[in-house]
Amino acid sequence: MQNGKTLGEPLLEAREISLSFGGVKALRGVSLAIRRHEILAIIGPNGAGKTSMLNVVNGFYHPQQGTITFKGETRRAMRPHQAAAQGIARTFQNVALFKGMTTLDNIMTGRLLRMKRGLLWQALYWGPAEREELAHREAVEKIIDFLEIQAIRKIPVGRLPYGLQKRVELGRALAMEPELLLLDEPMAGMNVEEKEDMCRFILDVNDEFGTTIALIEHDMGVVMDISDRVAVLDYGRKIADGPPDAVRADQAVIDAYLGVSHG
Amino acid sequence: MELLHALVIDPIGAIADNPEFLLEVVIGGLLTGVMYSLVALGFVLIYKASGIFNFAQGVMVLFAALCFVGQLQLGMPLVMALLSTVAIMIALAFVIERVVLRPLVNQEPIILFMATIGITFFLTGLGQLVWGGDVKTLDIGLPKDPLIIGGVLVNEFDLTAAAVAGLLVAGLALFFQKTSIGRALRAVADDHQAALSVGIPLKTIWVIVWSVAGIVGLVAGIMWGTNLGVQFSLALVALKALPVLILGGFTSIPGAIVGGLIVGAGEKVAEVFWGPAFGGAIEDWFAYVLALVFLLFRPQGLFGERIIERV
Ligand SMILES: Nc1ncnc2c1ncn2[C@@H]1O[C@H](COP(=O)(O)OP(=O)(O)OP(=O)(O)O)[C@@H](O)[C@H]1O
Ligand SMILES: [Mg+2]
Repeated sequence: MQNGKTLGEPLLEAREISLSFGGVKALRGVSLAIRRHEILAIIGPNGAGKTSMLNVVNGFYHPQQGTITFKGETRRAMRPHQAAAQGIARTFQNVALFKGMTTLDNIMTGRLLRMKRGLLWQALYWGPAEREELAHREAVEKIIDFLEIQAIRKIPVGRLPYGLQKRVELGRALAMEPELLLLDEPMAGMNVEEKEDMCRFILDVNDEFGTTIALIEHDMGVVMDISDRVAVLDYGRKIADGPPDAVRADQAVIDAYLGVSHG
Repeated sequence: MELLHALVIDPIGAIADNPEFLLEVVIGGLLTGVMYSLVALGFVLIYKASGIFNFAQGVMVLFAALCFVGQLQLGMPLVMALLSTVAIMIALAFVIERVVLRPLVNQEPIILFMATIGITFFLTGLGQLVWGGDVKTLDIGLPKDPLIIGGVLVNEFDLTAAAVAGLLVAGLALFFQKTSIGRALRAVADDHQAALSVGIPLKTIWVIVWSVAGIVGLVAGIMWGTNLGVQFSLALVALKALPVLILGGFTSIPGAIVGGLIVGAGEKVAEVFWGPAFGGAIEDWFAYVLALVFLLFRPQGLFGERIIERV
């Protein structure tokens, strides 16, 4: 734990989640809590079920078994729209931006749910909608400043280098002002400098806005540096869960990473 | 030798003799092409926003025109009939979303395609049932006189149609680029998952694109209907949108517009100058042959992204 903050009660609790695709069991009875204001790292070998877990949390996947409790409400499965509306934002392992749109427009899409009036209403009354749009522009400009991407505001994101795309994607998620932020390998494919920047942004978001963060990461150095707690998945099962140092010393975890056969 | 004459020498000779006539033919063709563009535009909107190949687009053109002309014949004032038809097309979008799209969400594209064939039959039947199967003439007082501009003969109606289509396209472009709802639509077209993750409601988006496609269909239907009378063959004319889409690329709005113009002008020129060599009626199949040739050399269409298979 890199600072002395006390972790809150669970914001989200997934219980006994099982998910399979045909014969492939992606998750087998995984229970995982995400506590308010923490940075939780989810790690594990390739194909362990990490991305599947995030997809269950924000409603892309509907598990065959288990329940999810978010902000005190228990459900069999989340739905993406509902998850977004209730304050869950995310980024994707393979950057999923709107490639034809500019950085600014991409981040603006994160504001859609914050706009007071529904989409249909805006289709009919352009004048007031425009005024509201301006207010949201201000919020977005703050995020752009925060992420230090002023220079690429008007550039279509498809033309940006990978590292910057990942940053824009974080910006779009932040624009939603989420309570829970899910990051799927936010530093994959980045050089050392870019990774350092990204770590700083993640820590700042957590620190300044109190945003709860669950992130998947392969770089152990990064994981040990920034997370308050680490959960380890292997073959769809959770094999460890605890403070970074304890997890690093855990024999089951070491075995999983060394590829020791599963009993 | 005779073939050479018929295919090359005679047509080229005719063009060289009277270049103004070629210009007239091209302009006439371009203006027909505007209609193709409108129909193709409806396809592209729906395809981009939902990945559905909407076989019913042609019938939506017919259905909108039928509702419009039917209400006019019942004595409704023009503006009222127009507004009420717009309302009908929007209501139709709501019904299609609720009854067809929502239950079939996440199904294979082929299943959704079949569902739109179902919509085609349903709308054809409904239109016939409510408004009857006879040919209805549509005359909303659009000017129809021939005009001479700079020595070239043009039809005033064609010009009006082109202007209306141009306005419609400009309006849509503004809508897509300048409003937050347009941004949401572009987002959905770019990446479904990402759009869902920021909470863009797909259902609302579907209702909106189907409504817009319906309204674009209404405009096309009024123009076509004024030209040809409102009848069931309208839905067939709309099939010309398929070669237009192959030319323009299924996901490109500029492609739909340019593709429509090329097909319109191309088939007119082919008919007038090369028609005699083939015994006439080239117009009916020229567009499809053009599309085939295009498929061989540029399968992604004029503006479509290059398809590179990942291996
Ligand atoms: N949509 C899907 N359809 C079929 N199988 C899937 C799907 N999503 C995930 N899987 C399977 O579930 C298992 C877990 O995949 P998941 O993507 O969750 O792993 P991961 O831990 O994120 O791996 P990585 O580190 O490679 O990203 C894998 O065997 C994967 O092939
Ligand atoms: Mg993954």
